[in-house]
Amino acid sequence: MPCPHAIAELTPKPLLRLRAHPLRIALVGNPNVGKSVIFGRLTGRYVTVSNYPGTTVTVTRGRATVGAEVCDIVDTPGVNALEGALSEDEKVTRDLVQGGGVELVVQVADARNLRRALLLTSQLADFGLPMILVLNMIDEARARGVDVDARGLSDELGIPVIEAVAIEGRGMAELRGALTQAGRARAASRTGADHLPWADQTARRFRSVGEFTLGRFQEWLGRAVRQPSTGLPILIFVLYVTYLVVGVLGAQTLVGLMEQGLFGTYLNPWARAAASHIPLAFVRDFLVGDYGLITMGITYAIAIVLPVVTTFFLVFGFLEDSGYIPRLAIFSDRIFRAMGLNGKAVLPMVLGLGCDTMATMTTRILATPKERLIAILLLALGVPCSAQLATILGILGGISFFALITLFGVVLTQMILVGFLAARILPGERSDFIMELPPMRMPRLGNLLTKTGLRVRWYLGEAVPLFLVGTVLLFVLDRIGGLAAIANAARPVVTGLLGLPPKAAEVFVMGFLRRDYGAAGLFLMARTGALTHLQAVIALTVMTLFVPCVANFLMIVKERGLRIGIAILGFVTVLAVGTGAALNAALRIFHVAF
Amino acid sequence: MSPSDRTRVDVHPLSALRRGSRGRIVRVTRDLTSRAERLAAMGVSPGAVVNVLQTFPGIVFECDQTELAVERLVARSIWVELEGV
Repeated sequence: MPCPHAIAELTPKPLLRLRAHPLRIALVGNPNVGKSVIFGRLTGRYVTVSNYPGTTVTVTRGRATVGAEVCDIVDTPGVNALEGALSEDEKVTRDLVQGGGVELVVQVADARNLRRALLLTSQLADFGLPMILVLNMIDEARARGVDVDARGLSDELGIPVIEAVAIEGRGMAELRGALTQAGRARAASRTGADHLPWADQTARRFRSVGEFTLGRFQEWLGRAVRQPSTGLPILIFVLYVTYLVVGVLGAQTLVGLMEQGLFGTYLNPWARAAASHIPLAFVRDFLVGDYGLITMGITYAIAIVLPVVTTFFLVFGFLEDSGYIPRLAIFSDRIFRAMGLNGKAVLPMVLGLGCDTMATMTTRILATPKERLIAILLLALGVPCSAQLATILGILGGISFFALITLFGVVLTQMILVGFLAARILPGERSDFIMELPPMRMPRLGNLLTKTGLRVRWYLGEAVPLFLVGTVLLFVLDRIGGLAAIANAARPVVTGLLGLPPKAAEVFVMGFLRRDYGAAGLFLMARTGALTHLQAVIALTVMTLFVPCVANFLMIVKERGLRIGIAILGFVTVLAVGTGAALNAALRIFHVAF
Repeated sequence: MSPSDRTRVDVHPLSALRRGSRGRIVRVTRDLTSRAERLAAMGVSPGAVVNVLQTFPGIVFECDQTELAVERLVARSIWVELEGV
């Protein structure tokens, strides 16, 4: 923590002003300039930070003490403009600055791109709030040969201009010290000019561009990953390493250690032994029976799902911080365009492979309502989450490569088909693909671990309670004969159309409580030989296409409203069963048994 | 491009430039969408110096110390005056 004494020196008597509430300060700036890092430095709170524009999709608040003042700091999503046509994120930020929600604005800027920063400064100045300008990543700017005359710029604007390298904490003490000196900025409107020419001219006056000294390797890598001849082999390599870490280390080695080792050998036998002292059979079954809270709920949540999710988030965090994912967007732009999206959709789609619920939340980075809706629909329909992926690989990998290809072929075809139709049927526009490519960086281990830890905690906080609620529901359903009733009701569909054993109906019910949880149920059926190879392929295909888990459904409702949530749920269910039935019929006609 | 333009300067849409081309933006076509405003907010506006880094699968160029990737449709509305080599 930078010491607050510096402020005491700057302002002889710390002004202890009486306020009805703490001084409210907003951190505003272009995307990917490090607002969240500065927020963390000021408040001591960590918010997810990455090398990807648009990571912050909600407003985060935290408290900081500066000198004698208590301040409320607000971290906002990155904005490119505050006037004209605005995205949802930009509206959030504008309303905050406009609606009297804050008393002071700290504009965070990427020192490399002064023109762009000043364009925003000029628009911010129109709101009339006291401002401070932070030129962040000044080290990277200098490495690129860019130097900014901060003192001259400060005199011109009439506000403090601070040079910083927030990730290392440099400039933070100066920022704290400057809070009391914030002023209203002199920008375009005060000089009677338009924002853009003013920003252009001012940037030229206070910035000098010299020699480019970016690291050779960094430069080479940045180029190699975006050019097809080198980029595609790199992509295949990245996918293979991801498979090794998540599919082999996570889904096989760690799951094996946890499930057979920790739970199979120790915890579950101990739990059963302890439970045998309980005189009531009902309570015993509730804890350690077939649908027992410990033997089923906790075992699945911790032993099967946790290792996969953790390893996935580790790999994803690495790719995200390295700056690789925006470059991936260049390759995927064409495919996504056919589906009414653009390359930017690659982030939510890849994140969906970890957790669809979390990915649904990040669809906010997409620019138009139509794109967000299509992305949410496709996530719910076709993108398997990490636990499902592990199950699919675990079951079908043991059958044949052809079985795997069949499943992914069917699911991908459905996604592209639905996306293609949705792009034409749904009203609204697709947005242009304009993407900033941040420099390739070596991810910082500390940041990577913190981020993975935070995501895993988020996942556990959301998932484990749902796993347990799901288990309790199943237990109750089983006791009152509800499972049998549902299985009966679904029997004509499940056994007739899909050709699956009746027990699969029960697994699909579980699947809705938690998609990965249902997948784990199928895993158990396959392992105990309750499914033929053909049935396994059908069941997993339907499961992958099937309704999202409850958490995902609730997130869709939260993002897009109940009506759209129910519409997506209904559509996906019909499509999943329909596809399963068609696949079943086709495979049987052609006598494919895998 | 008309011959009169050619005698004066060498102006092309960004989408038609080859890799390695350098030049200064002279105009960003305005249409009914907010494309020009979006681009301006990223620093792509008349006066900015661009350097084409890649043309396939997407168009990648450097503008104001920032690397940007755009689709062809967008690149068509960015008009660049080539620097004499």
